[in-house]
Formats: sequence, structure tokens, C-alpha cells
Amino acid sequence: MSPEPIDAATIAADVQSGRRTARAVAEASLARIATTEPAIHAFLGVTADRALAAADAIDDRRANGEPLGPLAGVPIAWKDNLVCAGEIATAGSRLLEPFRAPYSATVLERLEAAGAVLIGRTNLDEFGMGSTTENSAFGPTRNPVDPTLVPGGSSGGSAAAVAALDCPLAIGTDTGGSVRQPAAFCGVTGIKPTYGRVSRYGLIAYASSLDCVGAIARNAADLRLWLRAVEGPDPADATSLRRGEAKPETADVPRDDLTGLRVGLPWQLNGPGIDEEVSAAVRTAATELERLGATVEECSLAAVAHAVPTYYLVATAEASSNLARYDGVRYGQRRDGRRLEAMMAATRSHGFGHEVQLRVLLGTFALRAGYHEELYGRATRIRDLLRREFETAFASYDVLLSPTSPVPPFPLGSRLDDPLAMYLCDALTVPANLAGIPALSLPCGSTATGRPIGLQCMAAHGNDDALLRVGELFQRQTDHHRRTADLAGDVDGAVDGNPPEAPTA
Amino acid sequence: MSDIAIDRTELQRLAELARLHLPADREAALLGQLQDIVSAFAAIRAIELPDPAEPAAGAGAAPTPLRPDEPEPALGPDQVLANAPQRAADSFVVPRVVDA
Repeated sequence: MSPEPIDAATIAADVQSGRRTARAVAEASLARIATTEPAIHAFLGVTADRALAAADAIDDRRANGEPLGPLAGVPIAWKDNLVCAGEIATAGSRLLEPFRAPYSATVLERLEAAGAVLIGRTNLDEFGMGSTTENSAFGPTRNPVDPTLVPGGSSGGSAAAVAALDCPLAIGTDTGGSVRQPAAFCGVTGIKPTYGRVSRYGLIAYASSLDCVGAIARNAADLRLWLRAVEGPDPADATSLRRGEAKPETADVPRDDLTGLRVGLPWQLNGPGIDEEVSAAVRTAATELERLGATVEECSLAAVAHAVPTYYLVATAEASSNLARYDGVRYGQRRDGRRLEAMMAATRSHGFGHEVQLRVLLGTFALRAGYHEELYGRATRIRDLLRREFETAFASYDVLLSPTSPVPPFPLGSRLDDPLAMYLCDALTVPANLAGIPALSLPCGSTATGRPIGLQCMAAHGNDDALLRVGELFQRQTDHHRRTADLAGDVDGAVDGNPPEAPTA
Repeated sequence: MSDIAIDRTELQRLAELARLHLPADREAALLGQLQDIVSAFAAIRAIELPDPAEPAAGAGAAPTPLRPDEPEPALGPDQVLANAPQRAADSFVVPRVVDA
């Protein structure tokens, strides 16, 4: 029997009013995790003691008449590439074991200050490198909608935790679609904010010019609550946007309907190569937006045709540099080697999984003397071209629409042998990362076999609020987000409870 | 435009630069996958781009802000060294770097 889905806003309001205690909410979340984990494996660690202590502190504050934060008592899971003081952090890799964080990521500090109850660390592709969560060194996560399917990635554990009703909100990170694609695959809602809107201090870096902290929930209204609590400048992250760089509540989008909203459908992101059922669901969603008052028309973004190679050359080049720090000296595992360089090579080769080694080698190649200008250099110039194309498009449109993923979720193990084919599936999400713009994935239907489909909405730099308002109005008038949550709710009865096996490839 | 290709010698050089040791059973799989990826991605060399003199930039349009260069609280030596595989007093211990 699955619990009734309760959103974060309702929990916070109930805890603030005394209708529920934070402890009861935390205990219910921990009990649900215990029920779903054997089948789903969304978590790498459950922080029950921390959660119950935080919940009790909130209940004490209320009993003493002290004010409570906007996320009072809301159980929140976090992707295990964000560090939390006193807790283990793995980034989905064996290499970091047994790292225990001496400080907390700013986003987690701000969540706790807002009254959130941190419930556990979620599974991910190693260092965020993957689109299925099968690249985790700790075994794959399964999709709560159908446990034979991948949950997407790299924030697959966070998306699965929300879809399985373990918690109403989970933090993810999005370097090339790693929040939006798993949200789409699991039938939940996910946002990648504008680059710099949320501090990355305490994020285990993959590709620093692309990495964003985002979140996954069952609706856009909860994502707004999350963004309000964590956004804003951070002296510890020089790339965080200063006040005034992110647009506040905009008047561009009306509050009650979408009259006047200009929606563009870039044909390059809605054309060949997209699964027919996915295309049909997105066209239907566009029609629903029109019914709500928006004008929808086709437009063009020519440079997105080159987005996948551009993204992978930039991201892996940055990763080859960022991951140089895992050398067996300062933290994590060390393999024996009589000389320093032999020890480093032995440590890294043993600690990194196959996909991480592949990407580090690709990034090293992209920066190699003789190829640097032709590969990495050209990729950065295409990236500038793409950003300018987006700026031009946003002069005519408030929102650009596409599917989040060209395909619906696929069976575990079915695509592990062909990384290039897997990379090409990121074609629709990586443009927003390259341009640094906000993007939202909303459930917009499902295939005939019940596999969820996600609608991606992108807005201009800093227009996160307008984007979330479009999502909220869409979800107020449609029930896709509720139907997929219903599908996932019975996960405890969906499989026999055997823990999932790690893939052999 | 010359071909961009990765052969076994190039892969071994990349592994050396990336501080990776590739066992023989892993080398073949990595080489094949890298060849496929690089061959597909090399197509960006043929794209016509506007004004090559224009500088490339990162994702943010705003420049990185500067802050006053003042000392601030930071992690102490024990916290920094707590996760080290090997330490001695306030230092990380590493294998031999130079010959005696």
C-alpha cells in the first residue's frame, strides 16, 4: 500500500501550523525508504539520526513559540556529490572511500537553515558521468515507475527517491541534463536553474563551467519553494550570481493564465531522431499551452545541431582537469606504488570506473597539444555561437519547448556498450548548460506502455521565476504530474524485493 | 584538414598524461570507444564559424567578481588531513619523489 503523495509546501504548512510534527514526517519518510529501497536502491546512505535530530529540533522550536523556516520539517534527499559536514560523500565512486566531509555545501546549509530535514545521500553515476545511474560504483538505481527501466541520470537516485514517494524533494546536479532527464524518466519535475543562481560550494566538481545545482520534486510549486530557500550570492562561490543579475518575479508572465506568453518550438530540437510517442506528447503539451492562452510557433536554433560534440569536448576537458585532484594523496583510496607517479596511476586506475576513465582520456585528448585549437578551442567558439542564438531567440519568445529526452526510459543494461549512442541522447538537454540558461522538465504524458515522457521548457538567462510560473500554471491545468506519481506509488509491491544487481558491463 | 585519429600509441600517451594505468584487457575497449567518439566529434572542425578573433567565454555573461584579499576562517590542519590515506604530523605522506 503506497502512501498518499504529500508535497513539500503542504508538509511545511502542516508543521508550521502544528497539524503534523516534523518527527512524524521524518519517521514516515524513513519508513517509506526502508520499504522501497530493496527494489529501487535510490540511496547510498540514509541519515536517520541526523534527520530525527533535526526534526526534533524543529518541533522544539515550535513548542517554544520560535519562528520556523519555509521548509520546516520537509524531508529532503541530496545527491551524493554534495558534501554534508560529518557525513560520508562518495560521488558514486569507490575512489573517494572512506571520505567524510569536514564542511557542508552551501545549498545544504541553506536548506537546513530553512528547516529542511536532510534524509539521505542519493545514488548517481560516478562523478555525475552518465545518463542512467548505471555508472555508479555502488550498483544501479531502478525506475520506480517500472523497475526494469533505468531511472535516468546522473541524478537518478534523487529522481527515483521523489518518484517512489520517499521524500517530496531531492537535490540533484545538472551538468548536461542530469536533473532534467532523470526527472523526465521517473515522471517527476526537475529544474536546472540559471548558471550561478545556486551556489556550487561543496559540489564535487565535474565540469565547472557547466555544473549547476538543481532539484527534483513532484511539482513546480515545490521547486519554487526550494529555489527561494537556496538561491543567492555566496562568497564561497565566485561564480554565484550577485543580487540583481537574476531577474526577480517577472511581470512577463501573467499570474492566472498564459495569455501573451510567446512559446517557440525550435525545429532542430523537435524533429528527426525523436521517438514518435515523445514527439506526440510534446505537441499535445504545446496545444495545452495554447489553450491556456500562449502563442506557439516553430523557430530555429541552428547551432544546437553541434551541441553534443561541443558539450562533450568542453565537459571532458574540464573533467580531466577537475579529476586530477584524485591522486591518492589528500583523500580517498591509495594503491601501492614505490614511486609517486606509479602510486597515482595505480590509485586512479583502480578507483575510477570505465566511463570516468573514458571521459578523462577524451578530455585529455581534447586539450592535447596539436588538437587543442581544433577540438576544445572550436568547441568553446561554437558554445558562444549557441549562446548568441539563444539570446536572439529569447528576444522573440519567452519560453522554448522541446522533449527533455528524445527517447522514453529504456531497460537497464540495454545501452551500456555504446557510449557514443548514449551521449547522443543528451542532445536536447546540453544546449541549456552550454548557454547557462534555466530549464525545467515537466511530466507531459506517457507512452502506450506507461513510460513517462518529459517536456523541457527553457527561458532566458535569469528568468527562472517565469519558467517556474509556466510550470505551475501548466500543472494547475493538467494532471500529468499527478498521474505519473500514482504510477510510481506502488513500487513496494511492484517487485519481489530482491536488491538490484550491478550490471556486468 | 588532417585526420584526427587515436591509435594505441596515442592512447598510451594519453593515459600517461592522465595518470592512468590501462591494463591490456581494458585498453582495447577504451581504444575502440575513443576512436568512435573522436571520429564523430571531429566533424566540428568543418563548421564555419563567424569572426575567429572574437574571444570565447564561459557560461556566465557577467565577469567573475573580485573580493578583498583578506584572511578568513578556514579548515584547520586536522580537518584537512583527516581523510588523508597517510599522514605524519601536519603533513601528507607520499611515496618517494626523487632518488636519494
